[in-house]
Amino acid sequence: MLRRVVLQTFRQGLAQSFFKRNAASLSESAVTQHPIETSEEAGAKSGSKQKNGDESGNTVVVAPPEFRFMYPEFLPDPTMERRNKLKEKLERMDMLQRRSIIEIPEFYTGSIMAVTVADSNSPNKFACFVGICIQRGGSGLQAWFILRNVVDRQGVEILYEMYCPLIQKIEVLRLERRLDESLLYLRDALPEYSTFPFEMEAERRLNNSVVPINPIKVKLRPRPWLERWERQNLQGVEDLNLPQRYYDRAKEVAKPWEKYDLMLQYRKTIPAEEQEKIYAEVHSQLQQQDLKRKIKRRRGPSSEQ
Amino acid sequence: MNQADLSKLVSALRIAVKPKPRLFASPEGPAGRLRKLKATVTALVKYERIELNYPRAEEAQSYAERLISDAIRNGDCHKHTMEMADYWLDEKQLIHKLFKVLVPRYKEYNSSYTKLVLGPKTYPGYYAGTAILELKGNPFPALQPATQNYHYWLHNVLLGEAKREFRVAKAETNANLSEPVASKN
Repeated sequence: MLRRVVLQTFRQGLAQSFFKRNAASLSESAVTQHPIETSEEAGAKSGSKQKNGDESGNTVVVAPPEFRFMYPEFLPDPTMERRNKLKEKLERMDMLQRRSIIEIPEFYTGSIMAVTVADSNSPNKFACFVGICIQRGGSGLQAWFILRNVVDRQGVEILYEMYCPLIQKIEVLRLERRLDESLLYLRDALPEYSTFPFEMEAERRLNNSVVPINPIKVKLRPRPWLERWERQNLQGVEDLNLPQRYYDRAKEVAKPWEKYDLMLQYRKTIPAEEQEKIYAEVHSQLQQQDLKRKIKRRRGPSSEQ
Repeated sequence: MNQADLSKLVSALRIAVKPKPRLFASPEGPAGRLRKLKATVTALVKYERIELNYPRAEEAQSYAERLISDAIRNGDCHKHTMEMADYWLDEKQLIHKLFKVLVPRYKEYNSSYTKLVLGPKTYPGYYAGTAILELKGNPFPALQPATQNYHYWLHNVLLGEAKREFRVAKAETNANLSEPVASKN
């Protein structure tokens, strides 16, 4: 999509080197690399499809690199014992089938979303919940996210499985990111940071090509806490103001060598070549679905007239 | 179910990677394990062929492959890769060797960059024995002779004759099939 083309500002907030690494990741030994900016000039039709030509002249379609952030659940579970190519392929087919029926929008931890679920026990047969996404995980059809809100001074969290057939609608009211990948510390934060009105309306984005990063620093309630936040290197939390012995103990207990453990990193992720294969397989269908929904949205109000 | 970590892009390793890492017991614990593997990887990059025990050789092979593949993918201007190279290579001139010698050597490779060959068992018993871990393209003479296939070896002679007989038989059957058709015409 054209709106996805400007990558640098999007990624800079999270990691400086994504763009350079993505440019390198798309190149294989026999394939020439087109820089990502030029795909915008190529036009709307081939806007996000990058066609790399190999020596024989056949074009190899490759998905844009940001797909792995927009659709992370398409990547399989990296645990080697559970890998099964056939199972993963069938799962991806089922995921695309579900996505053709319902729109599962792009969202990140820190986005505010509204989810409507079919509920036979509620008076109008639908149950709606609005909240901030504090965590997302799972791979394939088991992908989930947790929404948190404070209702009548009671914190409520609901885990939704993205591909559950009971889900009627997933709407992103505010699309933004935070400084951390997991906002579980909101459970120990002051309630105002987790409160969102149920009547909140979807906010229109000023800049479609960049997902803003909210640099808010959350204030935590006084101890006791659910987790030892001082040991977790949180960026989105204000200074914890703990006695020095807590930080000393955190240093004793820390595992600084894990940062350098290359094989640990390898076993936690899917290699870039595999990622490219997976997204090359699914991206054309995802784009078609997105395009159809856009056209429907534009025609919707005009057809009513 | 776990979601794959997206923060880093890694190249696929072209060696067999086991699901669980080997835990090398050490008084320092996991930090000691990495310190010992660091020494092995440094020695491998420095000497390009080292002889050591098989378990450590296998672990160090995967770490060396990861280091080289990261260097090829990201180059030396990439901060994270340089940090990894600085950690894994104790002697700092080897960082220069990694980016200036090994990366150009292995850039076009479609196979693994290291080779692990089983070495002798110096004492009897059920244990893994020694291994020789080497970087491919090293200047030393080859450890194992290059595989050769000479036409005058007996099995090649017999196979050649068998292939010839098969081709002759097939040509005959084709001729038999086409003859009745030709005679009809």
